[in-house]
Amino acid sequence: MVAATSWMLADAMRDARTPFVARIESVGASLPERRVTSQELMASARHHTRIDLERLTGIREHRMCGSGETSLSLAIAAARDCLARSRYSGTDLDMVIDASITRYVDDSTHRFEPPLSASVKQAIGANRATSFDLGNACAGMLTGVLVLNRFIRRGAIRRGMVVSGERITGLGTNAARSIRSIFSLQLASLTLGDAGAAVIVERAPEGHDGIVLAGFTTLAEHSRLCVGLPARHHPGAQMFTRARKIHEVAMADGPPLIADILARAGMQLGEIDWLIPHQTSVRAIRAGERVLGEQLGEHPKHLVVTVDEYGNTASTTLFLALHRYLDDHRFHAGDKVMLLSVASGLEVGVVVFVMDELEIDHGHVH
Amino acid sequence: MGTFIDAAVTSLGGGHVFGRGALHLADAAARACLERARHPADELDLLVHVGVYKDFEIAEPALASIIQEDIDANLGSPPRLGHHGTFSFDVSNGGCGVITAAQLVDSFVADGGARRGMIVAADADPSPHTTQDFPFAPAGGALLISHVDDEGGFERFDTRTFPEHAGQFETQLRWEPHAGRTHRGRNVLELFEAPAFAATCIEAGTLVARELLAATETPAGSIDLLIASQYPPTFARELGRALGIADDRVPRVAPELARTHTAGPIAALEAAIASHRFAVARRVLFVTCGAGLTIGAALFRTPPATSFFAG
Repeated sequence: MVAATSWMLADAMRDARTPFVARIESVGASLPERRVTSQELMASARHHTRIDLERLTGIREHRMCGSGETSLSLAIAAARDCLARSRYSGTDLDMVIDASITRYVDDSTHRFEPPLSASVKQAIGANRATSFDLGNACAGMLTGVLVLNRFIRRGAIRRGMVVSGERITGLGTNAARSIRSIFSLQLASLTLGDAGAAVIVERAPEGHDGIVLAGFTTLAEHSRLCVGLPARHHPGAQMFTRARKIHEVAMADGPPLIADILARAGMQLGEIDWLIPHQTSVRAIRAGERVLGEQLGEHPKHLVVTVDEYGNTASTTLFLALHRYLDDHRFHAGDKVMLLSVASGLEVGVVVFVMDELEIDHGHVH
Repeated sequence: MGTFIDAAVTSLGGGHVFGRGALHLADAAARACLERARHPADELDLLVHVGVYKDFEIAEPALASIIQEDIDANLGSPPRLGHHGTFSFDVSNGGCGVITAAQLVDSFVADGGARRGMIVAADADPSPHTTQDFPFAPAGGALLISHVDDEGGFERFDTRTFPEHAGQFETQLRWEPHAGRTHRGRNVLELFEAPAFAATCIEAGTLVARELLAATETPAGSIDLLIASQYPPTFARELGRALGIADDRVPRVAPELARTHTAGPIAALEAAIASHRFAVARRVLFVTCGAGLTIGAALFRTPPATSFFAG
């Protein structure tokens, strides 16, 4: 455990109280077939605007659910893809956590109870697993990994899955009805894309590094900067985001937090081979990495950007990007990967893990 | 090393419409809980909200982060490096949310990795004019769990689902178009409860509780307190009888808390604290039930010295 005086609630390496190490065992994803370009999305806007969404965000296209594709179906498909790439079956899982923000079980029905995790668990045959839903906006899946990491490190469980399905482009459809300028509080809704993702975290064999750092904090002074809720007069939901303010806070408060948590784990940013940040827009990601590098005096070796082809897929972005780069065989054994969440709340979360052969074998479907 | 329960406090809706919202109830319970335990908000390392029915059905951010802001717990901008902050997120597991969150908080607090975590639960009808038969009392609750160097605390958790009964309790927000016009209409919160739901909860709860007691070699007769869900309203009493736990060991909550949803176990715990039963209890059995059908159970052993307990 990192010293109690760390601002972030954090785990780092092993100690007497947490004798085990956790590692990422497999990653799955699911994407709707339908593609909608930013240009097509803006063409559906009710009011004439001069917004060049692709130029503004760097997002070329978004995946969009068709009829019958839901948050739950995307989550189940991602969970199955994850298991297909895993050495395990559903019955081997001790815990299943669903971190979906959207909870659609059909085209316009948002379910509260039972939890979606209970349905995912049943669909993949994870009969033994404890299951629950976890909500932490776009940081939900990474928060789930923090939780699994803790349970595994303490020896309470051997392995678990975090899964999410986001049918979230309805927010963009609703936003397109009202947006008149780039100052609209619904502008960020136009960046969204639909996707599912899943990750299995397991106890690492003796001698493996696995997850070497996991930390989270909530800068709650900014809790109301981004609010998503069901639309009052339209199907689906709406999201109101003060994106510029969120970006300012992330730029001001993110780097010192990351520097602090890395230092406490005896690491430096320059050791990070791959930085996978939350995928909001190409410009925001590149600006964030630049400021982080300037403030810490060094840069990660590579910056992962997938928002250009998927859009912001909410809680799934980090693991969709990881899945994509694993598919493309971009990693090498021993690479240090940093997953970085910045999400509504305002949540800042970091997980650093060392890539091993098992993860790189991702392309081989078992 | 283990955990102890610092305080458990509930809040009830006031007379004004804005006094009955879930956020108001959550904030009030959280503040009262910290006050009763005599701890300032910035001692919290973790804050987990488990309510299901929130104002305006807000989906983002986690309501826990808003509660954190409202109670002024380490707002953190800029973060004070060298001090600890607060990490907040939501857990949703229906009527079992408190036990699920207790398991998460315990995993950080029991070994001293975090010092203090608070679970907040609050539910209220999100939009009364578009809800069909909202069955739960508007109520909030907060439970403060702290690290203790002595042995004691949550000994074992067991959360299980019974998917064959998944259809017995369902709630959803469904778009209801006006006269076939897709983009004109309203979102309606619908709730369905099968007539057999209460009986099934009691049956499944009994099964899970018996197995938990057997696994920990704890005779039912040695249970000093049964802290259970308050919805369905018959669950706690009937479960106690099925397990052979005397009625006087099953706390009775105030009538206005009798149909409390996620905060139900906190209401029962508050009643046990108020009657001084908790202060002398050695073994406490928690059993919660909810949609899924999910049963969450835990065995709690109070630390040897409970004089610090802020009842």
